Amino acid sequence: MKPLNLFALLLFLGGAVWALTRSDRSVREIQATYYSAMSPFLRSGSKMETQARAFLEETRHSKALEIELQETREQLGRLRLIESRFRIIEDENKQLRHALAFKKATHFDVVAASVIRRNPTTWWQTVEIDAGSKRGIGTQLSVLSNEGLVGKIDRIDNGGDRSSVLLLTDEKCQVAARVEGSTEVGILNGQRGGFEGDPMLRLRFLSANASVRPGQRVFTTGRGGIFQPNILLGTIESVEKGALDSEARVRPAVNFANLGAVFVVLSTES
Amino acid sequence: MIRYSAITILLLLAAFIIQQFLPAFTGLYDSRILFVQLVFLCCAVTISSPTMLLLAFIGGFFWDAQCALGPHGGDPEVYTQQVESLRFGYSILLFGGMGFLMQGLQPLFKQGKWQFSAMLSGVAVLLYLAVEYAIINFIRGDLILTKSTVMQMVYTAILTMLISPVVFGLLFFIAKKCQHSINPEADRRNRRRRAY
Repeated sequence: MKPLNLFALLLFLGGAVWALTRSDRSVREIQATYYSAMSPFLRSGSKMETQARAFLEETRHSKALEIELQETREQLGRLRLIESRFRIIEDENKQLRHALAFKKATHFDVVAASVIRRNPTTWWQTVEIDAGSKRGIGTQLSVLSNEGLVGKIDRIDNGGDRSSVLLLTDEKCQVAARVEGSTEVGILNGQRGGFEGDPMLRLRFLSANASVRPGQRVFTTGRGGIFQPNILLGTIESVEKGALDSEARVRPAVNFANLGAVFVVLSTES
Repeated sequence: MIRYSAITILLLLAAFIIQQFLPAFTGLYDSRILFVQLVFLCCAVTISSPTMLLLAFIGGFFWDAQCALGPHGGDPEVYTQQVESLRFGYSILLFGGMGFLMQGLQPLFKQGKWQFSAMLSGVAVLLYLAVEYAIINFIRGDLILTKSTVMQMVYTAILTMLISPVVFGLLFFIAKKCQHSINPEADRRNRRRRAY
């Protein structure tokens, strides 16, 4: 080997070791610098993707869209009624809690955002949304849709108007979950290699003789410090019993293939 | 030579910008064109080893800056078995490995047979994805290989390989403008043929 090549190889290996030993904090700083330099291109890239998606949507049959619009209007009216009822109940609940001298009461505040980019990386199940630190969003906040839990904020861009959401379907997104109508709790996460249209989730660490059955719904427990309690995650499809613990396959409540508008929960303790 | 090497570095940086405009093909198992990797692979066969290693460092470093996930967060008492992610910087080594693989075909490329390098770029992308996925499986402690994962890797390699003639064409054009020959043996042969 030529001395120059050997020297270059040693320098390369030294550089690789330096990069591999960066702390999480410095990696975040490197990422922030990278994304701030890339932000004009990211903005144009995601705009192009959104326009392409909108064009494809438009080409769908107009009659189907008309029916969908009608259904959405009906649903909106129904939800408005439910919301007004929910506000009354919330006020009533607040008063009752106050009367019972509850030391802590949590309230939900959400920021609405749109998905502007899907799957920007090869292996991780992530999407990018058009809301960031400018609207009070920080990392590790939970993201919901009207159907249930979508995921959590993984990264916010330096510019403050974009963030990356790690989807519930990713193996790394773990959620402490409970099964409705039972005492069973476990950890729910996505499956590796679930790139097909119908991803399933795994609910692990259930007890060996867990009394859970297909059709039961799964909700967040609220433990673990990231996700609020009682958010719908999905429905059990099948249960696999093991010697030490059981595992359930869960169909997510959210249709991840059709994700448009999401809500980031800015929960504050009062 | 120096001008050409400097332009390949700029080309790699430009590839990161172009990559932002290339979405995943959701109908094809979320496969995508890995333009950054492709530009690196095509450049690797046309430059010397030290420049290739510099490109591998830049490419791997920025690729990880684009793709690395954050820490899990949450209460470690609840999330006792956190899922590991790929460490920042691993891509530098993968890019380096792929670069050496491409340089193995440099003698053929110098003879003007760029088609072999174009095909090898597809194989290298497939290998790159397979190694990356193997590392994920290794650090997470189990092997899960679904049909959709294999199809995603294959389609990504094919789609990326199909673009490689365009990148090679661009490199030939740049080399010509820089008055630098990236396939000297083929150029000599052509000159000799013209002389006769």
